[in-house]
Amino acid sequence: MPKWAMVIDLDKCTGCGDCMAACKLENNVAIVSPEQTEEGRVMFWMDMMSVYDGEYPHVKVKRIPKPCFHCDNPPCIKVCPVHATYINPEGLVGQIYHRCIGCRYCMAACPYTAKVFNWYEPEWAEEFKTCLNPDVSLRMKGVVEKCSFCAHRLQVVKEDADAEDREIMDGEYMPACSESCPADAIYFGDLENRESKVFKLSRSPRAFKELEGLGTEPKVIYLSKRE
Amino acid sequence: MRKMVKQNSKLFIVASAAIVLVVIVWVVLGSHRNITQPISYNHKIHIEEAELTCVDCHLYVETMPTATIPNIEICQDCHSDEPMSDSPEEVKLLKYIEEGEKIPWQRIYAVPNHVYFSHRRHVTIGEIACSNCHGNVEELTEPPSYPLWLPTMENCISCHKEHKVTYDCLACHR
Repeated sequence: MPKWAMVIDLDKCTGCGDCMAACKLENNVAIVSPEQTEEGRVMFWMDMMSVYDGEYPHVKVKRIPKPCFHCDNPPCIKVCPVHATYINPEGLVGQIYHRCIGCRYCMAACPYTAKVFNWYEPEWAEEFKTCLNPDVSLRMKGVVEKCSFCAHRLQVVKEDADAEDREIMDGEYMPACSESCPADAIYFGDLENRESKVFKLSRSPRAFKELEGLGTEPKVIYLSKRE
Repeated sequence: MRKMVKQNSKLFIVASAAIVLVVIVWVVLGSHRNITQPISYNHKIHIEEAELTCVDCHLYVETMPTATIPNIEICQDCHSDEPMSDSPEEVKLLKYIEEGEKIPWQRIYAVPNHVYFSHRRHVTIGEIACSNCHGNVEELTEPPSYPLWLPTMENCISCHKEHKVTYDCLACHR
């Protein structure tokens, strides 16, 4: 059974935000008005954390892409009263929108604030409606959503592999962010496959996990030489 | 006084009968919304006499997630200018072909867009016969007017459990 994981090389990442845009388009993530954004209701599945070090004019900026960490021990699933969020045998933490009752316990439980809530029925500009990705369903008002590691792509990849009676190849299943990254800073693959790039990178001395002490065992691994 | 009570009870019976009737009609029409197709297509004759199989006309059943409903481009491969039978339905078809107009078929099987259903997965990989879900279409002399089997989650899950295949949420939900 594969275990899907992501490695983000912060030394390569330029913080351009292409992953955020690709994710937003791939997953039909709602565009929130500037007023609502001010209120903290902005919706990103792939967010970009900015850390500012030092004082002007000697400021160092760290830009850290932050998807859902698909923890092996996810705090969000323990608080969900309706099993709308759960971890599957392949390690993907799923969010089933039609089961979600919008209590937002999972959002409070997630130490990485990876989940977002649909405060309003998403509205799309007329020109935008033709650009929506038909492979991802539109969410409705009152449900929580988050990065799915583009699980809809896995459905197709798995089917292709099964039709040809073979295993999924390394790099065949890739989320939109990883595919679009111009610096090739986002790797994605199977942690159980010792031949995969992700497995090798996860053993790198540069590798670390966010808030590792919490015991959430995230499956997004960062690489950085810097502190 | 007694007469009034009798009249009232009569009224009550008539009213409740009317309500029951409305409910029955609602249930029957609601669950089996009868759909009439623009052409009363005869599956039986095409399968038995023309010796066609499902995939000859419903292209991509074996290779793509979505199967297709054949339209004039497929029909005109066999039905050219001269009618093959004396059926009035074929005359309708020839008119569509002549005018180059698409046949406005009504779709009767559909899954909601938050569900990934693939014909290739079920037919080619799972080796499930078309009739498992669509019934004995080869016996039909006119098009089905309602889905034989509703693609509800309950039906999907029970079949998945029966065949011992995955029923993980993310296998279908997207």
